[in-house]
Amino acid sequence: MGSGKLRSALVIGGQGIRARKLRTFLSMTSLFLGVLAVLTVQAGAEIAERAMLSGVELTRGKDGTLQMFVPQEEPALGVVERTLAGRSDGVAVVGMNAIIGEPGVRPINDGAVPFDHPRVGGPEGGSGKPDGQAIEVQLEALTGDVRGFRPFRQVSGQWLDFASAPALAPRIVVNEEAAIGLRRHRVPGEMALPGAAVHVTPQVVGVVEDGSPRPSVYVRMDELRTWPPGSSNADTSRGGSRVQVMLSPSATDLVQTLRSRLIGVGVPADELDAHPIDSREELEGQLSLVRLIFLGMAALVLLIGVAGILNVGLATVGERVEELALRRAVGTSRLLLAGIVLAETLLTGLLTAVAAIGTGAAGVKVGSALLGPSYPALQGISFPWQAGVAGVVAGVAAGVLGGLVPAIRAARIPIAAVMRA
Amino acid sequence: MTPLIHLTGITKTLKGQGEPRSILSGVDLTLHAGRSVAILGRSGSGKSTLLSVLGLFDRADGGRYLLGDKDITRLPEQRAAALRSAEFGFVFQRFFLLKHLTAAQNVAMAFVNGQGWLPRGKRRARVMAALDLVGIAHLAEHRPPRLSGGEQQRVAIARALVREPRVLLADEPTGALDTETGALVVDVLRDATSRGCGLVLVTHDRDHARKMDDVLELREGRFA
Ligand SMILES: Nc1ncnc2c1ncn2[C@@H]1O[C@H](COP(=O)(O)OP(=O)(O)OP(=O)(O)O)[C@@H](O)[C@H]1O
Ligand SMILES: [Mg+2]
Repeated sequence: MGSGKLRSALVIGGQGIRARKLRTFLSMTSLFLGVLAVLTVQAGAEIAERAMLSGVELTRGKDGTLQMFVPQEEPALGVVERTLAGRSDGVAVVGMNAIIGEPGVRPINDGAVPFDHPRVGGPEGGSGKPDGQAIEVQLEALTGDVRGFRPFRQVSGQWLDFASAPALAPRIVVNEEAAIGLRRHRVPGEMALPGAAVHVTPQVVGVVEDGSPRPSVYVRMDELRTWPPGSSNADTSRGGSRVQVMLSPSATDLVQTLRSRLIGVGVPADELDAHPIDSREELEGQLSLVRLIFLGMAALVLLIGVAGILNVGLATVGERVEELALRRAVGTSRLLLAGIVLAETLLTGLLTAVAAIGTGAAGVKVGSALLGPSYPALQGISFPWQAGVAGVVAGVAAGVLGGLVPAIRAARIPIAAVMRA
Repeated sequence: MTPLIHLTGITKTLKGQGEPRSILSGVDLTLHAGRSVAILGRSGSGKSTLLSVLGLFDRADGGRYLLGDKDITRLPEQRAAALRSAEFGFVFQRFFLLKHLTAAQNVAMAFVNGQGWLPRGKRRARVMAALDLVGIAHLAEHRPPRLSGGEQQRVAIARALVREPRVLLADEPTGALDTETGALVVDVLRDATSRGCGLVLVTHDRDHARKMDDVLELREGRFA
């Protein structure tokens, strides 16, 4: 028939919990909040990291993307263009500033700064030109679809079509800040590149979100080339400028081809190393401190939860002195009784952790469903399992910490003193 | 014939806040199976202290305690708990029933102690038999707040008897009851001796004491 220690413990513990539903509920509540705080911090850090990373992805490129910087001058530029033509696993980006609007004036946002930026300098500015109806943008000329590396989100219209023949009037896609500038300041639709003699009228085909606070404009490099004839790109003469080439990590053959061809036209080999982008690691350094601070706060909240359990546990033992002494009088051993008291809080802690994890997981689901559409970082986010583990550990730890002292006290109750009428 | 209980020279000193006080100073006691003994004595004379030594709630400082032919003067806690479960039944002045449990569940407490498990059905049968023995089987599902003092004490006696102990220890079991109910309770306790159980009854009531086979008076830490 066995000693029935476990079954006795279950019956006694169950009777204890049922007799003190409110107390159990209260101690669960305090612990619930503590565990939920730990979960929130864990999940929050995870989401923050993703959000920051997705912002960085837009401007710098996805993690793992290989980057190479090639001098922005002929013949290297031509080699890059020819090698990457029609490829989607390698894209070159040539950046320069351009002015859209009245020619020969000082743009409203001199220096392609965001439009809400306070204007620096006097009315004349540094350029000596008069103010006029023009905006300055960051122009990025692309050899192919850059979205494989920088996942822009289409806000309206279309993205650039790289498959068709180059158009004479360059088609451009603007970012949201540039769209604001174009909308707010009715500038003539002429675009000029510094140093280029001919102005053209670009055709805006779409708006994207690119993660940049500055107004920027994307254009096919070959369409840009058709446009100031002769002078391929007006600003290349500025010393030290470089073309950014983004390459898929699997495009090893392309990297090889590009390197050997560039070396062939005289670019020093040591300037042509392809480095992978690793934003996560850089971010993690910054995030770990934030995470630590929040974890400290969560630990504090958890400690309050533990104190709650401890408080309730001690009060309960005080209230149960007679019951516990009586149980010992009828033959329950000290050890079993202490075990039961500990198991009660442990069970409470574990159940609470499970409840908190359930709530947290449901919260993440609901949150990502409700907020996902407006905050892409929350899209498709799943409940981080580390948070679940942290929750269970926190619950059990709280149960042990909060139950141990009451358990020891329960074991020390002197039967004789309690039973003395 | 080996006595059920044989105490020789039991001493016990208790230290409260002040000086250690000698409560028991050489108690001798012999109890045979199926016999009963009443212990009288002034308040504070050490009757309850003696009962806690007898019931293994507390240890004697000196002397010898034989249960049957076993020396149990010094026992580790685990073995003491096992003996409390198997060999002793306790009844107190305050009934010590758990308010949130029914009468049957209170009696079943004696089985829910990690000292041998009975399946639900067998447990139930033993509990009902014990309640029947003290005449309150019909109150099995009542909780203590709905029972009279006499009924509550009978639930406590059923709990003490349900494991069929060899020794029944009762510390002023009639102290909280009126004379008539008290007399009934003492009769129930004494009936247990007819089934071979030894009974130690601590009481202030000489009428109750007279119903026992022996009467001893505790004075200055020993039996006069
Ligand atoms: N834990 C303790 N520490 C110190 N002294 C104690 C302790 N418990 C009891 N005493 C003292 O021991 C003496 C004997 O107490 P005990 O309870 O055995 O008396 P009693 O004969 O049962 O009295 P009553 O008839 O009032 O129940 C009392 O004087 C009491 O004050
Ligand atoms: Mg007493």
